[in-house]
Amino acid sequence: MSSAAGISVDVRLAWRLTRGSDRREWWRVGLTVAGAALATGFAQAAVVLASLDGHYAIGVAHGLLDNPGERHGVVFSLLLLLVPVLGFLGQTARIGAVHRDRRLAGLRLAGATPWQVRRIAALETGLACLLGSMLAAAVAVPILLSYWAGPSALAWAGMVAVALGVPMLGTAVGALALRRVVASPLGWVRRVRPAQRPGRVLLVATLLFTALALVTLLTPFTANPLFGFALVPLTVFALVLLVGSAAVWLSGWSSSLLGRVLADRAHSAAGLIAAERLRDDPWSAARTHAAVLLVTVVGTGFVGVRQVMLADLRGMRSVGQLGMDMEFYTTGLDLTAAAITVGLVIVLSALAVGTAESLASRRQGLAAQAAAGVPRAVLGRALLLESALPLAPAVLVAGTGGMAIGVWYASITTEYTTHNVPYAALLVPLAVYMCCLLAAATSLPLLRRSVRPAELRYV
Amino acid sequence: MIRMSTRHILLGLLAAGPSHGYDLKRRHDERFPQARPLAYGQVYTTLQRLVRDGLAEIEGTDSDGGPERTTYRSTEDGARELAQWAGEIAPPAPFVTNEIFAKVVVSILSGGDPEAYLRAQRAAHMERMRELTAVKTAHGADLATVLSADYALNHLDADLRWMTTTAARLTTLTAEVDTA
Amino acid sequence: MSNKGGTAVPLLAARDLVKAHGRTQALRGASVELHAGEILAVTGASGSGKSTLLHCLTGIVRPDAGSVSYGGERLDQLPEKRLSELRRTEFGVVFQFGQLIPELTALDNVALPLLLAGVRRQEAQATAGEWLERFGVRGQEELRPGEMSGGQAQRVALARALITGPKVVFADEPTGALDSLASEQVMTALVHTARESGTAVLLITHDAQVAAYADREVRLSDGALAPVGVTA
Repeated sequence: MSSAAGISVDVRLAWRLTRGSDRREWWRVGLTVAGAALATGFAQAAVVLASLDGHYAIGVAHGLLDNPGERHGVVFSLLLLLVPVLGFLGQTARIGAVHRDRRLAGLRLAGATPWQVRRIAALETGLACLLGSMLAAAVAVPILLSYWAGPSALAWAGMVAVALGVPMLGTAVGALALRRVVASPLGWVRRVRPAQRPGRVLLVATLLFTALALVTLLTPFTANPLFGFALVPLTVFALVLLVGSAAVWLSGWSSSLLGRVLADRAHSAAGLIAAERLRDDPWSAARTHAAVLLVTVVGTGFVGVRQVMLADLRGMRSVGQLGMDMEFYTTGLDLTAAAITVGLVIVLSALAVGTAESLASRRQGLAAQAAAGVPRAVLGRALLLESALPLAPAVLVAGTGGMAIGVWYASITTEYTTHNVPYAALLVPLAVYMCCLLAAATSLPLLRRSVRPAELRYV
Repeated sequence: MIRMSTRHILLGLLAAGPSHGYDLKRRHDERFPQARPLAYGQVYTTLQRLVRDGLAEIEGTDSDGGPERTTYRSTEDGARELAQWAGEIAPPAPFVTNEIFAKVVVSILSGGDPEAYLRAQRAAHMERMRELTAVKTAHGADLATVLSADYALNHLDADLRWMTTTAARLTTLTAEVDTA
Repeated sequence: MSNKGGTAVPLLAARDLVKAHGRTQALRGASVELHAGEILAVTGASGSGKSTLLHCLTGIVRPDAGSVSYGGERLDQLPEKRLSELRRTEFGVVFQFGQLIPELTALDNVALPLLLAGVRRQEAQATAGEWLERFGVRGQEELRPGEMSGGQAQRVALARALITGPKVVFADEPTGALDSLASEQVMTALVHTARESGTAVLLITHDAQVAAYADREVRLSDGALAPVGVTA
């Protein structure tokens, strides 16, 4: 069989399998398209801004994009936004995973080679990503042309590279994620396996971020105020990533500890079920929870830094030291706030998707338990506790970390303002925690549907 | 069903040691709880034939104050014969003597109601299966009772399953029998 | 042994149940009575509506027409809250598999109904231990359902269904996934315990050998029930 014919067979099979799949698989495709579109959008914006060199009068956001220094900050923020987007894509790949694994094992039984199965599955993801990136490009190109009559060849090349790179990356990630699943024709899982604890990759990343943070901290940037202004967010984000990767461990470790401790002491059925689930599978939600912590650190830190910075800017203005309009600075801060909010929304959707998927993969058992007399309210409470318990200590630590950033920034920014602690930032972890509970609670209607007797028919 | 050989079973019981006719009958009924109980007359004639064929011999007679009783024991030929029989494969279902099927066909031929017959037969089978299950689940039932009940239950279950599929295909069968 | 068609008021009675799933008519006028302490088998081919009947009788689904009465209450009209309570206190349910919570140990799974009823954890676990012993699964207290054999898991499920002292146990193909020896152990455990405690059992099965554990059999065909044992 020639490889071109092979691929076309695979594409046709992938398409037919996707079309014949159930509702949840369409959810996966839809969310993958959305995630890919977001990734493409952020990456294309970053690439186009990075292709600019020197001063331009772009005329958006009070001239924030006009100068290279601030532009670099914006590019960096856009690239950082890719982190939660990729996390979100990883989460969507898990939707309906059990069904998909069973189907792929069926293909193996019917005689498909491991590579063929992997290609078919990866193509599913790749096609969805391609659709997403095309949609994003369709929106991005008119926007670009409306601001820039003749974009440079470099900008065009970057746009095309991103639009094609995202689907290719998606296909590669899809193949990677399935490396274990399809090895055996009988490889379909009866029960979702506990997630693995994070391995070496994360360790290396953590060390890298630590080094970056140290280098940034030791750079004497206070000499040049503009340079300092560009570097502060860099420092903050490096710290944030460090805290975030530590958070994956913190979250998984605290889940397992909480599970062990509470399982022996729980006195309510809901508490017992939640604790045993945490003990059984502490790493399943660790990545999502780590993303929550990351956003909490960024958010808390940002609110603190913003408060101090505004006080500082007002001080500078009052003595006539302000280089630009006040709006120039506030717009920058507002854009950062918007970026963090986008990050929070993405993380919350990932959390909601994760909770829903964990529920959906257990729906047959849940239906049987409900039929056997375990009240739906108990199952619902257990579901919420499962998110609420491990997030509480984690968000607390993240809030403390973010607060430390704010306090540290306040301590070094004393030239035009008196030293004060940005207490408003303390509201951020609280708000994030509440939002997380709400995101987890979005699964409760799904629980109601999952425990319908119709699910019992497949038990 | 495979016919049980009474002479080999008696030889087997004698292999444990000399015994007299009444004792053999009692031990047989104990050891094979769900089998048809042996008649004393059958035990007596079978023992006589074993002696005639040189497979058993008379050990002696005692009266124990009651009626006179003859004690038998197995001979070497008897032990050889028994070992050969016990190792022989029982022919798997050599003759299909299916009375139920015969009744269904006759019922169709004579314009009867085979469906009603199968229903009634099924009920009778179920009733017997319930009896056997009660015997084997009774507190203190020994393993021999459980196993022999299981043997019967499995055969009745096979009959039942055959009746279910036959009942579902009666229309086709009726057409076939009527045109033949 | 039981009140076969007697004059006594049945514990649970369904009349003319009709239930459709989409275009499939699962039940069309099914009536059945279960008396206190009786073991009743409901048999029928697969797809004959056995499970739907069980769902109607336990109040898991409401029939499209017909009535289900239990102890003077109309199950088909009760609010969900009261139905959950009934299922928790008066009924025990055993399925082919899946009713045990995979993350809980055998001991906690059996103790769960007591915990739900507000019994203290230690007390609930102690009682659960006794029940596990009764069903011959002592020494398996700390195992999770995934670590047990099918027969052990089903005996744990039976212990959980019976621990609250229910009036009725509903068993839907309780031995459907077991080999004949494990099936015999599970059925013997169920029948012995039910007889000792006077619990009525509604046993749904396609297996005649399992149905033979019951006092009486009714057969579902085309969504309606016919008694077996009445000579036609």
